[in-house]
Amino acid sequence: MKINISNKISTLLLALIVLFFLFFGLDLFLGSVNIPFKNILLILLGETDLKQSWQVIILESRLPKAIAAVLAGSALSVSGLQMQTLFKNPLAGPYILGISSGAGLGVALFIMGLSILGISISDWTLLANYGLIICSVLGSVIVLLILLAVINRLKDVMTVLILGIMIGSVITAIIGIIQFFSYDAQLKSFIMWTMGDLSAVTLSKAKILSAVVILGILISFVISKRLNAYLLGESYAKSLGVNIKSTRFIIVITTALLAGSVTAFCGPIGFVGIIIPHLARMLSRSSDHKILTLLSILLGINVMLLADVIAQLPGSETSLPINSITSLIGIPFIIWIIIKNKSIKSTS
Amino acid sequence: MKPILNISNLKIGYSSKTIVEKITINSTSNKLIALIGRNGKGKSTLLKTISGLLAPIAGEIHFNEKNLLSIPDKDRAKLISIVLSNNTVFENITVKDFVAYGRYPYTNWFGIKTLKDEEIINNAINLCRIASFKNRFYHTLSDGEKQKVNIARAIAQDTPFIILDEPTAHLDLINKVEILKLLKLLSEQHNKMIIISTHQIEMALQLCDEIWTLENKLLEMNTPEILIESNKLDLLFGNESVTFNKANKNFEIR
Repeated sequence: MKINISNKISTLLLALIVLFFLFFGLDLFLGSVNIPFKNILLILLGETDLKQSWQVIILESRLPKAIAAVLAGSALSVSGLQMQTLFKNPLAGPYILGISSGAGLGVALFIMGLSILGISISDWTLLANYGLIICSVLGSVIVLLILLAVINRLKDVMTVLILGIMIGSVITAIIGIIQFFSYDAQLKSFIMWTMGDLSAVTLSKAKILSAVVILGILISFVISKRLNAYLLGESYAKSLGVNIKSTRFIIVITTALLAGSVTAFCGPIGFVGIIIPHLARMLSRSSDHKILTLLSILLGINVMLLADVIAQLPGSETSLPINSITSLIGIPFIIWIIIKNKSIKSTS
Repeated sequence: MKPILNISNLKIGYSSKTIVEKITINSTSNKLIALIGRNGKGKSTLLKTISGLLAPIAGEIHFNEKNLLSIPDKDRAKLISIVLSNNTVFENITVKDFVAYGRYPYTNWFGIKTLKDEEIINNAINLCRIASFKNRFYHTLSDGEKQKVNIARAIAQDTPFIILDEPTAHLDLINKVEILKLLKLLSEQHNKMIIISTHQIEMALQLCDEIWTLENKLLEMNTPEILIESNKLDLLFGNESVTFNKANKNFEIR
């Protein structure tokens, strides 16, 4: 028995792990307050004799944010990989197909809808956190089910894209109506969420998020064999013994768990889910989901940490929302995929 | 020889539209069977139904005494392999990886291949003579090369029954003949039952052991000799511009 991991891919994995430590360290190091790197390490190792303010900055601000970057990067990338395989569409991703919007609708209903109905849960932190995730995941599942229902009739990659944009617009309209009827306090906290970035994730939220993301990633590895068969199309997959219905169901749930939970706590983060699986395929030249999942996780983590480092505008006092950074990196890449895809079509 | 494929009173199509009905077949193994008929007469629908991709409206299909309509997908995968006519494949799948997909029903949950799996994959590659390009990517191959690779994948699946939907479409003359001869070899020397749908009627008459014809919602099963002697081919495919010549066993333009 052997697992086929070529030297090239092992080198790649090793390089990504080294980069991870580099970016993670850099992410902890950068910020408006300058803390020496040696002291950051000591704080992480549990040293308590250092400046109180430094400890608070590292443990309650920078560390949760870096962990959030790791979780968001890996979750969004793996969910993008699964969606691209499920929909046989290189442009599929949680953001562009409206899955993040679906999650947003769940969040809107949870934050604003409940208060319109006169229910207040602001005193129950734990319930609020879990409720937020559950609503967000449910919102994602609903959008995925709509997509699944119509996607077989839409063979063209671009039509599916337009559908995703339309679903996003409908949801934005519904959210607008909810906003119109909601109270100031809830409206403000929802607006904060839509602008929300990694810094919204506290250490207790990070714990919940990591449990959900790890579960989603574990399932992704377990179904990697089925995902491989899915690459040949559903007919072949079925003829190879794959139970199509249960596989579709598992993929939808996993994708929604990964994308929905991250969106619940970090707000909508665009394009990471589309780009990373492409990078993984380009770099590995592989189609094996065991390798692609592993690579997507590591690439996603690194890109997200790097985006967060850039967002802090090293050397300046201000920082940018990370969503803007991922969009700025992402959109040129997507245009490139579209052009490349056209050329594949016209030569075959 | 005992019949291995038993189809009784099969009615196929979609809920609103019956395409073929009253299909009853008893066929033995080691046979290359051609399914012929004009476009839209239900060739693909019949093949999809037998291979389990489409549920029939009524009737039963048994292969090797197993009910193909109630068998779980993973057990059917060890009895029937298919080669479809439309192939859309993601990039980054090499020829060898593609053939290796045939071992899917036999590998463990993580898809780890044993030495025996590797051996079966290599045998399939050698049998189809595709070893010279086994490390190339599938999407870069020509249509003829792709079809050989598709068949190698079906061979690697190691099933007694192979179904191919128009395996010779889009191929040049030499590739058509090579593919059909390869299928003939498989049925004769590797003890397989093979059904193909095809528009290459003259070639099918020369190479196949049995011809199934589809016309007027009915299926008829004949040997090539009987089919040639009857006037069926002229009835099925002849019109004011083309006619079947019994003596030369070919179609001639009027």
